[in-house]
Amino acid sequence: MIRNVPPLSPEARAFLDREREVPPLSPAARARSMARARAAILASGSARRAFTVSPSSKLRWAIAASVLGVASAAAGASAYRFRDRLAVGPKTPAAISTAAPAPARTSGRSRSSTPSAPVAAAPVPSATDDGITAEPAAVSVADVRVQVPGSALHRASRPVTGEDELRLLRRARAAVAEGDFEGALRPIAEHARRFPDGTLAEEREALRVKSLSTLGQTAEARRAASSFQRRFPNSVLVRVVEQLPTRE
Amino acid sequence: MTVPSDEACVEAYQREIDYVFRTLRRLGVSPSEVDDLAQEVFLALRQSWQEYDPSRPLRPYLFGIAFRIASTHQRRRRREVVLAVVEPDELSAPPDQALQAKQTRAVVLAALEKVPLPRRAVLVMYDLDDMPMDQIAAALGIPLFTAYSRLRKARRELEAVLRRLLREVDVRS
Repeated sequence: MIRNVPPLSPEARAFLDREREVPPLSPAARARSMARARAAILASGSARRAFTVSPSSKLRWAIAASVLGVASAAAGASAYRFRDRLAVGPKTPAAISTAAPAPARTSGRSRSSTPSAPVAAAPVPSATDDGITAEPAAVSVADVRVQVPGSALHRASRPVTGEDELRLLRRARAAVAEGDFEGALRPIAEHARRFPDGTLAEEREALRVKSLSTLGQTAEARRAASSFQRRFPNSVLVRVVEQLPTRE
Repeated sequence: MTVPSDEACVEAYQREIDYVFRTLRRLGVSPSEVDDLAQEVFLALRQSWQEYDPSRPLRPYLFGIAFRIASTHQRRRRREVVLAVVEPDELSAPPDQALQAKQTRAVVLAALEKVPLPRRAVLVMYDLDDMPMDQIAAALGIPLFTAYSRLRKARRELEAVLRRLLREVDVRS
């Protein structure tokens, strides 16, 4: 079959050969990337611990759901009888259905529920659920709740993930790339509020120094730079921060 | 706290991190975005680590992941305006020789970028990474015949790009 593929011309081969070697990353880039990889593992581990319940908790949830269901049914029936006694309006199916108990929780893991653990899950079709740290019987809080995608409950119960962090930092980076340093300070501030000690706090603070110094807010840039150096003395970005103009 | 499979995955990623970064660049990811996408490659690798057969070479597997992530990124990027950011590592100017090598490689990457991504992936794996075609087809999830067909087209496109580049050089000189 390879016979049908004409070989590359010598010029093209020579041209491609210049790219054949895989150059090593700089030590700084390598350190940064490995630190992020390890941080993601730690973050997903803690997120999973924070958002999973043990089998005994699962039982408690089931009991609570049953009690809630019975209580709802009783309340619904009482309301229905009370309204019947007062003869308020006709008994329509719709009116009856409003007093019906809440739908029972579906058993097992719902595929429509928000995933609880992965941090910045990559869109790889062949990727499966991460079973590395999950116990077989563990279920996430998101699974326990009855969720309608897009509903307020669905949104409210969505666990905060590393992807949220990354999204904010991406906005900040994009703004910096476009030269919109004021615009960059908004996602930076939001990130600082939501993830003060997040995985990407180091990069966030470096972006803050860069934005402030470029905006000419030198006093604030100097303070941010000092704070960065104190907080991340071994950061690979210290050199970058030091080179940013923070003196008038 | 990490578990043994996490450690194995981190070690494998660390061994191939240069390759991951370079592959993403060859697939058209800009320097300012390669760090984030490499992180996505790592997370996807970790997610699918249990499926990976350690008796098989890791690079084609990694390339498959990188290709899917780069493709998704390319689709997303079409909707956004992307501008280059100063890379922290590029703040210090490299020596002349290194700079020249870097520029040469940049030209090769620019030429590769003219080849559509699905075909470029086959070309890079076959002509740069010297991978066997059956592994390429498996990594990209395409039939063997399709892989050969893409290679044929990709080579033709690269040759055309090169001819154009050489003509431009002639005109300038």
